[in-house]
Amino acid sequence: MKDFVALDRAVETVLTAGLAASALLLLAGLVGGSGSALRAGTVILMFTPVARVAVVATGMLARRDWAFGMVSLWVLGVLATSVAVAFHR
Amino acid sequence: MPLATPVWLLAGTGVATGLIGALLGLGGGVFLVPILTLAFHLPIRTAVAASLISVIATASAAATVNMSRGVVNMRLAMVLEVATTIGGLGGGLTSALLTQRQLFAVFGATLAAMAIVMARRSGRRNIIAVADAGLGTGLLGGRVEEDGRVYVYRLRRSPLALGASFIAGAISGLLGLGGGIIKVPVLNTFCGIPIRVATATSAFMIGVTAASSAFVYFGRGDMDLHLTAAVALGTLPGSLAGARLSERMQARSLKLLMAAVLVAVAARMLWESR
Repeated sequence: MKDFVALDRAVETVLTAGLAASALLLLAGLVGGSGSALRAGTVILMFTPVARVAVVATGMLARRDWAFGMVSLWVLGVLATSVAVAFHR
Repeated sequence: MPLATPVWLLAGTGVATGLIGALLGLGGGVFLVPILTLAFHLPIRTAVAASLISVIATASAAATVNMSRGVVNMRLAMVLEVATTIGGLGGGLTSALLTQRQLFAVFGATLAAMAIVMARRSGRRNIIAVADAGLGTGLLGGRVEEDGRVYVYRLRRSPLALGASFIAGAISGLLGLGGGIIKVPVLNTFCGIPIRVATATSAFMIGVTAASSAFVYFGRGDMDLHLTAAVALGTLPGSLAGARLSERMQARSLKLLMAAVLVAVAARMLWESR
């Protein structure tokens, strides 16, 4: 049970940190007219759910929940494919 | 791409569409994409890309709230995300193969179907199919408190849940919508998941689903960063306020009215596809 609470906390932390960092960068980009801040904010926001899946996969594997760990890794694999498609054009 | 529309107007549009979308449980994209295309005359893929980023921002914020309430079924979410991300990636790739007119036609038809689902569910009941005591929760079930009682539930008809999740993912990737309007009714009505768990688990998934196609739009150059930033920063507070208000609002007549509005928007999108 303690493991589940710790995993929930870790997921919440990753989502909150990703959202806060990207929101600040997007706001700075709009106010300051900085294209690189807008780009960084957008990329961080897109990677926030990816980081969440990576945290869940790590948490599942750490407590030897192999079945759900593999499921999480599968989802991570689909997201990695999406990233590969995006950045290798 | 130079953007003629002022940032404050785009952010205001994000606030309004996020608020209404969350009030109705449909997500902001349902109104955001039509407004950006029909009123601001932006290409539909640019509007869909902005909507996907807004969905990621809103879903990430909503997930933290739902997790602290303890209603997200994380195991179920991970299994269904296998289907939603494959659908999302497929939808994102398919959008490049369709013309602007074809995308308008698919969007219009999807909105019309959503309007029908919303109208039919306007007086919705929460179906709680309690698990057999001897069988327990199974791998993907759980426990939830409803009206002061603790219910044990288990996932039924898992192929149906996976199929609905795949379709929801494909619609998300193709049209920039959340897909909750498909997953939540199927999970609750046919798969034995209580409505609060189905809604929170669906919301938990849509950020990952949207990310699976957002990268594709980003890499393809369909994303206007100024537009996306302004809209996402507006949608975030609008959606959170709408979600809070929706807990108090169960007005059947308002949902029926908005279903009629959706039909009108669907008709306008279909008109654009001529």
